Amino acid sequence: MEIPINISNLCENQVKQLNKYKDSGVKVLGYTCSYVPEELIISAELQPYRISNIGANTSTLTPSFICPFASATLENILKLEEFFSGFVLAHTCDPMWRLYDIVKKKTKKPVFLLRVPHNTEDPSSLDFFRMELSRFKKFLAENFGAKVDRDGLSDAIKLCNENRSLLKEVYMLNSGGKYSVDASDRFKLVLASMWMPKKECNAQIKALSLKRSSNKTGDVRLHINGTTVYDLNLIKTIEDSGGFVASDDLCTGSRYFWSNVEESQDLISALAYRYLKRTPCPSHGPLQQRLEYIDFMVKEFKARGVITFAERFCDPILYDSVHVKDAFAKEGIPTMLVDYENPAQEIGRIKTRIEAFIESIGG
Amino acid sequence: MSGEKGRSRILQTTKKIGELILEYFAKASEAKAQGKPVAWITVFTPVELLRALDIYPVAPEHFSAMCSARGFILDFLEESERKGYSQNLCSYSRCTLGYALSGMSGLMPPPDLLVTFRNSCDVYVKWWQSLQMHLGTPLFIGEAPYVLAAEDLDNYVLDYVVKQLESLIRLAEEKFGLKYDEEKLVEAVKLSDKASELWLETLKLRRCKPCPLGGRDSASDIFPLVVMQGTMEAVQFYEELLEEVKEKASRGEGVIENEKYRLLFDGIWLWYAFDLIKYFEDKGAVFVYEPYSEAWACRLDASKPLESVARKVLSMGLNVDIDLRIERFLKSIKEFNINGAVLFSNRSCKTWSAPQLITAEAISGEFNVPYLLFEADMADPRQYSEAQIKNRIDAFLEVLGES
Repeated sequence: MEIPINISNLCENQVKQLNKYKDSGVKVLGYTCSYVPEELIISAELQPYRISNIGANTSTLTPSFICPFASATLENILKLEEFFSGFVLAHTCDPMWRLYDIVKKKTKKPVFLLRVPHNTEDPSSLDFFRMELSRFKKFLAENFGAKVDRDGLSDAIKLCNENRSLLKEVYMLNSGGKYSVDASDRFKLVLASMWMPKKECNAQIKALSLKRSSNKTGDVRLHINGTTVYDLNLIKTIEDSGGFVASDDLCTGSRYFWSNVEESQDLISALAYRYLKRTPCPSHGPLQQRLEYIDFMVKEFKARGVITFAERFCDPILYDSVHVKDAFAKEGIPTMLVDYENPAQEIGRIKTRIEAFIESIGG
Repeated sequence: MSGEKGRSRILQTTKKIGELILEYFAKASEAKAQGKPVAWITVFTPVELLRALDIYPVAPEHFSAMCSARGFILDFLEESERKGYSQNLCSYSRCTLGYALSGMSGLMPPPDLLVTFRNSCDVYVKWWQSLQMHLGTPLFIGEAPYVLAAEDLDNYVLDYVVKQLESLIRLAEEKFGLKYDEEKLVEAVKLSDKASELWLETLKLRRCKPCPLGGRDSASDIFPLVVMQGTMEAVQFYEELLEEVKEKASRGEGVIENEKYRLLFDGIWLWYAFDLIKYFEDKGAVFVYEPYSEAWACRLDASKPLESVARKVLSMGLNVDIDLRIERFLKSIKEFNINGAVLFSNRSCKTWSAPQLITAEAISGEFNVPYLLFEADMADPRQYSEAQIKNRIDAFLEVLGES
């Protein structure tokens, strides 16, 4: 499998893509979290674009002890503001929630906060989230004159379902101990799905030759636990150190595409169900459910170790890392926590730790 | 660190807080011994509802603040850190996780139920989940969505919280065979409302010049509103406090003799460093307003008890939109005649600290009120640099003296 050059380039330089949208008059809605349903944005004839931390330093508007990912994302929102017609933030963790406070005060563009219940189990949470999605639909109509009708939304759901299914198909090529696709390539496809027009992206994934592209046979198979990883050097570092990223539970990885929307009579309800009941991120849902998902991935993809990537000061993952360690210690699977503030500046230290971990497993 | 010298200016009523706290915890152990369930709660959880269910609530946050103030927090912090909890996590959570991991043989009895409502911070969810993982105790996590506008308190957002309170009732009835008693809720709501009314009236008296109630008092006097809402003891405490403050105000007596600067304090207090308040006071600066002290008071309507409690859970603390918070800030500057603001950038409370610079900009932009922003931790004394902070206070007060 060879990743198309435009997708590789996109991962190197996101601004180029934003410029393209600007030049062609495409209205772009920036969002920050995989709990935001792209389907609603697409059906409002806007281009969804997930804003990352890439290319930004931490913002001077936040204290030094705030998650550096959230802070750099804030910096990008404000730095790249001209490319966006508006922003959608999701209440996932404390810093992302407070980003809304700051962005709202610092931009004149429309800003929406999607309130995602942390308790995903109580039946009332689903009703509430459905109402939140209806409020989001209203926001799109009021600010962009968008008419989200049933047909448009149904088409958008089909498009996003197709994208998720394609990503999952590629992902599953590595299941059961197979070494088919390098993780760097897989992650690029996910990132492109969040940045490119969906149709175009789907067409390119469909055109991929899904023959084996990895030459990593025998490398130590690992699972990556965390929140988001936009800096693919982190993945490359594992690959260069004798590791093979067999699976992950990242919002820029499997959590983005693992489940589809089951179309039903009420499409907003169907979306609410998919997004609330999706593979939980560390800030949401029952912890046990997350541990079970990681356990499933480790077994399905035959990982021999689990690396937790943690942005320094990221509360949800730092709490969870203790329980991930406990859960896998019982199964004799080694785990390691790697925390960082700016991976690009700390890559030497990170590499040393990863090498030692892989060596200890027996790579 | 605080020492007797640092406590010299507190009110007579405030001096009773220590005993009240010990009694409250002692009763928790008695309740447990009698077979009554004890719940560990986060502080903006509907205590009134737990009283109606005959569950005894204790607040680990409060316990942690107390451990910090009394100088025995380090053992618990280190215990949780040994387990793998990062020093970058909330120190209250590290303290209680350490306490839970080390056998819970202190003042706070082990929980039968863990209850939290995600309202003022999201850490509550992870902290309570972690406690459950270690203790195996039943867990209830409620969600109080961020209040974006006043109408949220009348629409599906309020309905959602009411439904979750009903879920909590069902859980308590199913797990412990308890019976929810609405009359008890009405009674608890009335008492809670009365305590809030008295506290708000007391806080208003801080508008007097000189200010009769300082930061040292307000930091301690909130305790009965944290976990004792819905009890007669809390009401009696606030009646007594109001009386004392009224008398002091009528005598024209302030916290300090020569009040030069009236300050706002934004943040949770540094429990291990009460002497900092005295440091300000010795230089003529008195704290007259803190959003933290006010956050605990909430008027309730006994004719709609469950809905009223739901409104309280939603609208407390940091769970209201930033514009509404800034509005309150600016109003207080006028009402309390404030001439400087001290903003505590608290490493443990990221939800409070993250947008603090925006608040600071609003304060200095609108009223040209100088502010001091300093970084430390509310309960972990290891990250506290006393000399550095005092140095900055000196510089700040110099600026105030010139303005």
